[in-house]
Formats: sequence, C-alpha cells, structure tokens
Amino acid sequence: MDIVIAVIKIILALVWFLVLTLYLTWLERKESAVIQDRIGANRANIWKFRFLGLFQPFADAIKMIFKEDFVPAFANKFLHTLAPFLSFFFVAITICAVPFGDTLRLGGRTISLQVLDLNAGLLFILAMLSLGIYGIILSGWASRNRFTLLGGIRGAAQLISYEVALGLSLIGIIMVFPSLSLQSIVRFQGENILGFIPKWGVLLQPLGFVVFFFAALAETKRVPFDMPEGESEIIGFFTEYGGLKWGLFMMTDFMEIIIVSALLTTLFFGGWQVPWLAADGFHWPWGGGRALPHGVVVLLQLLAFNIKIVFFCWLQILIRWTYPRFRYDQVMDLGWKVLIPLSLLNIVGTGIVMGFLK
Amino acid sequence: MIKALGYFLEIIKGGLITVRHFVTNMWFHTLKVLGLKAKRRGAVTIQYPEEKKELAARHRSLHRLLRREDGKPRCVSCLLCVTVCPSECISVEAAEDPDSEIQKVPAKFIIDLSRCCFCGFCVEACPEDAIRMDTGKIEVAEYRRADLIYDLDKLLK
Amino acid sequence: MPKIFIDDRAVEVAEGLTLLQAAESVGIPIPHFCYHPAFPPEGSCRMCLVEIEGLPKLELACSTVVKEGLRVRTMSPKVVEARKSVLEFLLAEHPLDCPICDKAGECKLQDYFEEYGLFKSQFKEAKEKREKKFKLGRNLILDRERCILCTRCVRFLNEITKTEDAGILNRGIHSEVGIFESEFIDNNYSGNLAQICPVGAITDTDFRFKTRVWFLESRESICPLCSRGCNIIMDSHAGYPRTLPTRRVYRVRARQNLDVNFHWICDYGRYGYAYLDEGREDRLVWKKGDRETRLSWDKAAQILSEKIRSLVHLRKNSRIGIVLHTNLTNEELFLADRVFRKGLGVEKLFLADPPPGKGDEFLLTADRTANRRGLQEVGLPVQAPDLKALSGLDLLLIFGHYLAAGTSPSDLKNALEKVETKALFASHKSGLDGLVDFVIPVPVIAEKNGSLTNIDGRVQPFVAGLSFAGDGIAEWRALLDLARELKVEHKYFSRLASPEAIYRALRKEIPFFK
Ligand code: SF4
Ligand code: SF4
Ligand code: SF4
Ligand code: SF4
Ligand code: FES
Repeated sequence: MDIVIAVIKIILALVWFLVLTLYLTWLERKESAVIQDRIGANRANIWKFRFLGLFQPFADAIKMIFKEDFVPAFANKFLHTLAPFLSFFFVAITICAVPFGDTLRLGGRTISLQVLDLNAGLLFILAMLSLGIYGIILSGWASRNRFTLLGGIRGAAQLISYEVALGLSLIGIIMVFPSLSLQSIVRFQGENILGFIPKWGVLLQPLGFVVFFFAALAETKRVPFDMPEGESEIIGFFTEYGGLKWGLFMMTDFMEIIIVSALLTTLFFGGWQVPWLAADGFHWPWGGGRALPHGVVVLLQLLAFNIKIVFFCWLQILIRWTYPRFRYDQVMDLGWKVLIPLSLLNIVGTGIVMGFLK
Repeated sequence: MIKALGYFLEIIKGGLITVRHFVTNMWFHTLKVLGLKAKRRGAVTIQYPEEKKELAARHRSLHRLLRREDGKPRCVSCLLCVTVCPSECISVEAAEDPDSEIQKVPAKFIIDLSRCCFCGFCVEACPEDAIRMDTGKIEVAEYRRADLIYDLDKLLK
Repeated sequence: MPKIFIDDRAVEVAEGLTLLQAAESVGIPIPHFCYHPAFPPEGSCRMCLVEIEGLPKLELACSTVVKEGLRVRTMSPKVVEARKSVLEFLLAEHPLDCPICDKAGECKLQDYFEEYGLFKSQFKEAKEKREKKFKLGRNLILDRERCILCTRCVRFLNEITKTEDAGILNRGIHSEVGIFESEFIDNNYSGNLAQICPVGAITDTDFRFKTRVWFLESRESICPLCSRGCNIIMDSHAGYPRTLPTRRVYRVRARQNLDVNFHWICDYGRYGYAYLDEGREDRLVWKKGDRETRLSWDKAAQILSEKIRSLVHLRKNSRIGIVLHTNLTNEELFLADRVFRKGLGVEKLFLADPPPGKGDEFLLTADRTANRRGLQEVGLPVQAPDLKALSGLDLLLIFGHYLAAGTSPSDLKNALEKVETKALFASHKSGLDGLVDFVIPVPVIAEKNGSLTNIDGRVQPFVAGLSFAGDGIAEWRALLDLARELKVEHKYFSRLASPEAIYRALRKEIPFFK
C-alpha cells in the first residue's frame, strides 16, 4: 500500500510539474505580450476554438516532436543525445523533495504531501541543480562546434560561480530554522512573531533572500543572466540541437524557474503555510478563530503553495522581459564580488543577532 | 557603494515600468473579457488577416497602368521608369502607334515584382502619369516566381 | 596668322577661319545648331551670337571670319541673354516630346536649354500643330514640330549627295522642310540625315523607338563592310534594361575622320550590322564521322599542330594548304605569312573572298572586304582557290566562310573529301561547316584588336567594340598558338603576344607600314 501511495505521489508530482512547465511557456508568451502591449500567441485552435491561445503549448510540443532529429556530422552521437536528458533528469528529480502541503489524513492513514521527506532535502535539491551543469557542458562539447563549446564553458563558469553564493545564502536560513528537511523548514514558518506576524524566512533573512533570489536567477540561465545561451547575439551551448532535444533544454529552463520558485516559496515565504491557518482552522491574531474541516485546510494549503509558486514564476518572467543581458565580466563581478561577500555578511550578521537573542 | 545603490534603484525603477505596463494592460484586457467597454485596448496589435489597417494615402502598393479615355494605355513607352528603376525590374518594348499625336505605345510592359523594392521612383518618373502604385494591394505573394512577373494585361486591370 | 582675343585670351588662329571654328580650335565651345563643319555657314539659327568689341550688335560666330585684333566675348551677359532668347523662340514652337523623342539624351536643344535656358515658359497660346510623321525618305521620318529649320538636312542633300531632294518650303511661320514632288529621299547616304539633324526632327526607322540613347555604350570602331574603312561609332547594348536584346548593336554612326570618311558613312555600312549577331559560329567542334565533340581551342591546337608537324616532318610541306581572306587584319595576314610561308615553307596560299558589290563614287567601294590593300602590302603571294589544287592536299586550314560562296556545293564537297584534315576558322555559319573536321569560331573585326589598311593605303588601328562570346579564338592568337605548338622560330614569336606587338614587328619588317 505504501508503494502504491508513493507511485501515485510520484506521478501526481510529475504531472503537476510538467503541466506547469507547459503552461509556463504560455505564461511567458502572454506575459511578455501584455508587458509589450501585444496580444501574444493566440492562433493555435481546436475547431476554431482559440481560448486565449491555451493550445499553443500543445502546438509547440507537436511541432517539436515532429521535427527532424538532427545530429551534426562530427558530433559525438551518444553524448549529444545524452546531454539534454541529463539536464532534464536532474531538474525533474528535484520535485520529489518539494513539500506541497502538510499531511493529508485519508481513511486512517496519514499521507505526507511530499514525494519524499528527505532529511537533507535542501542539500538534495542544490546537489541536483548543480549536476545540471553536466548537461550544459556535455551538449556544448559533444556538438563539436567551437561556439557551442564556448557557450558550454561560459555556462559552467557562471553556474559554478553562482552555486557558491546560492549555497552560502542559505546557511542563514538553516541557522534560523535548524533543519535541512524542507518540510520541517516550512513547519517552522507556521509560527508567528510577536503573535501576529507570520514567521516567514524573508522576514528573518531579508539579505539572505535577496542574495538567494539573484543567485537563483543566475542559476536559471535566463535573461539577464543568459550568458550560456544568448540566442540573439552570442551563440550558446544548444545551438546544434533541434526538435525534441532542443525542447528538453527549453523545458529544463522552465522547470528550473519552477524549482527556483518552489525553493523561494518554501524557504522564504512559508511554503504551503497560510497566515494564521493551523491544522484545525484559522486562529486570528486578534483573538478568536474559525474552525475548518481537515479537507478544506489541506486544499487551502495546496492553493497557497501554488499561488506563491505562480507568483514567483510571474516575477521571474517579468524580470526576464525587463532587463537587458549583463556583460560576462559583470556577471562574474556580481557573483564573486557582491553576492558572495553579502552572503558571508549575512551569515555573520545572523550569527551575531542569534547570539544576542539567546 | 552609492553608485551601486543608484544602479539598484534604476533597476527597480525599470522593473516598475514593466509592472505598470503589465498591470494597466491586464486591466483593460480584463475589462474587455468582462464585456465592459473601455476607451483603450490592452494591446495595439492588429489581428491582421481579419482586421486590416487602413493604408495611408501615400502608401505604395501594387502598380497599375492607367488608361486613356479611349481605353488605350496612357503609357507612351518613354522608358523613363525603366531608366530610373533601381531594381532593374521594368522592361518596356515600344511600338509605333498609328495616332501621330501619341506615336509611341508599349508593345510589352513587364514589371518583375520579385525584384521590385516598391520605391515608387517609376511613379515619380513617369511624365504621363501612366503608372501608379495606388491599388492598395499589398499581399503580392505567389508560390512561383513566374507569377510575380506582371505584364501589360495584368497591370492594366 | 591673325591674332584675336577670345574672352581676353590672346590666340593666334589660321587665316580664313570663322570665329566659331577659331574658338573651337582653342577649346572654347560656342553653342550652335545650324553650323556644321562640312557646310558653308548658313546663319539661320542665331544660337552662335557673340559680342565683338566695337560693334553695337551681337554677331554670328559661325559666319564672321577672324580679323587681326578682334576682341570677342563668348560669355558676356549680353551673349548669355541672347542665347536664352534664341532658345525661348525655338522652344515656343517646340513640342514637349522629349520623353518619346529618340534624340533625347543627345539633343542639342536639350543640352543648351540645360546650359543656357532654364527659363519658365511664358508661352500661353496653344502650340502650332504640324505633321509629326512625315515620311521623308526610305529610312527617315520627319517630325515637323520638332524641326528648328536649321537646314542642315537641306544642305547635306545639296552639297554632299548633290541630289537636292529637299528644301525649305513656304515662308515665315509656315516654313517647313519638304521634299519635291513627293519623292522620297532614297540614296545610299540618307542615314546621315538623322545623325546631323541637331534635334529629333529626323528619326531613323531602323533605330526609332528601339531603346533610349542613355542605355547605349558607344565604342569606336572601323566599318569592315567595304575597303574604304570608314570610322564609325557602334552604339551597343550595355546590359541594361535587362530584357534580352535581340541584337547587341543598336546603331552605327559615322565618326569624323577628315582623311577617310569626313563626317559620313554610307547606308550599307550604317544598317548592315545584322551580321554581328546573325548566323554566328559559337561552338568549337571536332567532327569525326557523324560524331561531334566539343573541345577547347588548346586541345584543337595540339591536334592540328600534331598533323602539321608530321606532314612537315615527312617533307610534305607542299601538301599543306591555307585559305585566307581579306577581312583579316594586317597583323593576322602578317602572322600567316611568317608562320606558314616563311616558317614552315608552305607555298599553297589561297584567297577566298566575298564577291564584290557595286561601289559608288563617294565612300562605298566595290570591294566588300576590309583589308585587300593590307594583303597586298604584306606581300602574301596568294592564288585563287581552284578545286583541283585543293583536292590534292592533306591538310587544309580555311580561314573565313567565303570559300563556299564561289563554287558549287557538290564540287566543293568532292574536292574537300579528298583532303585528310580540314580546319575551318569562321565567324559565321556556312555550307563549309559540314565539310570540315574542325570548326573554330573566330571573332569578327568589331570583336578584336588590330589594324586594317584601307583602299588608299591608310593603316587604321582599332580596338574591340564588342566582346567575343563564343568558345573560339581570334585568328592572330590562333596563329601564334600554332606557331608555339610547332616550335617555329620560338624566339621570334614568343615576343609577339598582342596585336600591338605584332604591329611593331610588322612595321620593322615591311617598309610600307613604317
Ligand atoms: S517601385 Fe521602384 S523598384 Fe519597383 S518598379 Fe517602380 S522604380 Fe522599380
Ligand atoms: S515612365 Fe510612364 S510613360 Fe514612360 S514607359 Fe514608364 S509608364 Fe510608360
Ligand atoms: S528634339 Fe530635343 S528638345 Fe525636341 S523633343 Fe526631341 S529631345 Fe526634346
Ligand atoms: S529636319 Fe533637322 S536638320 Fe533638317 S532643318 Fe529641321 S532640324 Fe535642321
Ligand atoms: S550656328 Fe551660327 S546661326 Fe546657326
């Protein structure tokens, strides 16, 4: 029975992940269009039924699937094929550590709304994201094209640089919520400061949040940090890809957005927590409360989690459509000279404050 | 440090511009979806094949040759358009007209639209006002190159 | 030599010149319509007015003879004003025809208006209507609206052809050029009328409406159609408009050479340019049986010289024959002489030429080839191509396609069948093509460089006015290549790499060409 539940959870999580990815492409198109006073893709239809272009992702997918699977003549065929799957896999697997909600009591069982409650979930996600670099380097190298190779190297350099800041910025969070399990970190955030302010990570770790946010943006390799690809000017690592394999790289990008949003939500914005909502209902800070049945509470939590994630996706897309690309040296400067010192500062500051409060 | 902060402020300001666009456009889109009338639309897009933009009066579209009152082409095959055309796409062959007042008429008049850059110089050059680019036809696309070669009959239509 | 002052420049000019000629000789152009160097001044257009110090009125430069100490102004305000007025008068009766006028682009009226006119028309009345398509002659159409009554045409017919077919009829505003008793102007020089008419009044049906003059490229050349060697200008298609032209040359014009053709050429030469494009050989082929192989000249030269070499080696020089013609340049005839007669000891040189036509007493000669005098002066001993002599040969190099003309086809076939190897260097297709083993296209005179000697012994160099497109080779080059392959006097021929170099050798060796 546990296995069945686990499989169902895996499938549900993956479906959620992929559907959100698919519609993130739609969101990206529509949001950029609205920002730029346009309408955005709205022609894909089924029997003349356009529905805001919601079928566009399917049209894109069909197109990608039916495109010629092209491998350059001198490329290393095996690695060339392997690279996009590596990229995709390492991102897709991170979803198993993300807590979607608290626990669901169903027929006498208590099901945790998380695929796997790893006790080092945070490290797991960071590790998997770092492994994604292999996809980039491999694709750049296996294409046997010096431009893609350069793109891959740029990508690796950028990701490794920001990996450091990303990791360091989270130390503060681990200090204030003493756990590496994402579920427990979220639980910690259910408490209130002074009785009414939700104890979300962003309030305890504002600097950590800022550093993490920038580093995470850089990790997604999208404008303004799209040094590895830069399709409009500089040639990037997946230049020699087309069709479905290219699609996998694209999906990896969007999945990274979701994972970054999930991390932001989980670590800094209370994950599935709804302010003042406990397992039995709302407890208003001004006294009193409202009891809710268990199912509603779980639903509210799931909803809160999703809303927060979509908000951060929206924010990242907004950023992508607002800022011009950094120059390579600026990217490196920002990583090494600004974000890392700031994150160190954050650790020291957190330590001092915590020492005083003790 | 101050400078860096200045940059940071500008970055935020820039972000707010896109946010403003997003919010206002979204607002008008929503109004429209709700069926409420608004002066402004959420997007400036023209839904092209269904909706068409009105062409400006001076817009240069597909060429046409004009006729005299009696239906003969106005063109006197002076080859001035041929001379001026920067894309070398017009070719005219002259013939003798029995009317000695007209003298020259085009026996062949061909515009190779696959070369034309729609500069309108031919219209400017014509001393007889025989050629104009005011048909309003802008969808001049064909599957075969040969169909883009317009001859006298096609141009006189 | 009277000394005069033109625009404050002191110049010494020859006695008896008019002011206009004097000014032109020192490089000061004076605008004019009716003056033509070939005729005595007429003074009808008034365009050439100049100011002479001490005289109250402006004077005609075209008919005032120079006198010691005259002080002439050609650009004083008064003169410029006068020119403007003359133009205004001329244009008052002139139609706005330039767009359909063949002269536009080389019209004096247009040019002078651009230079001196540029006034706004004050003429409000309707323009006079006149006959616009009067058939003046065999090739000529007169547009009386455009005529400015300069009488150049009338004077040409009076003084050059002396046919006196036309004149100015009627008086005053009714004056017009007319022909007498409705007889056409039909002589061998009528084409010149369209050329000397300063405006577009007389147009040439051969050129009329075919193109516009600014599309043409003008190259100097020599007319090869008779032995006079008239100097001509070939106006050819310069690549635009892009419509495929049916012909490369649109018009042939006379080029002034006072020693040969003055300002004129005959109609035979003027309209006879169709041969440039019609019936040209364009493929170098080798025929073996019914198989035709296309090959390059280098290959053909190797095969031919191999044959020649073996014959010479066997001391069978007498079984080699060369047929020449007199549309070859001096250089080519000289080379043929040096390579075959002097170099290889070939004695059988024949001459096959187009048949003579009818000459006239002015320019056209009866001889319809360009360089008979050159052949004489180079000193080639040639004989008539009698078929018996031809049939006894092993190798025959035929230059020109004229051999087919003089003889009956079957006799020629029988004779040539006995010859083992026959190569034809011809610019045009003819009955010979089927009878020979090699057909090698060659350029016509308009397509190569060289020199011709005209009937009066005048040697005239010329350069290619058109490009040669076929896969053949010019005869001089071919002869040099054969000499090289055969290793005849290597040192001597290796220095001759161009028609100019050949001509230098020719001058050194033959006193006539000095
Ligand atoms: S519009 Fe311009 S390019 Fe086109 S035919 Fe006219 S002159 Fe030529
Ligand atoms: S410029 Fe006008 S009149 Fe002249 S050929 Fe062209 S269309 Fe005809
Ligand atoms: S004669 Fe000269 S000015 Fe007169 S219509 Fe012809 S080109 Fe124009
Ligand atoms: S036809 Fe020409 S040459 Fe003759 S009078 Fe008139 S303008 Fe002069
Ligand atoms: S040139 Fe002197 S009057 Fe015509």
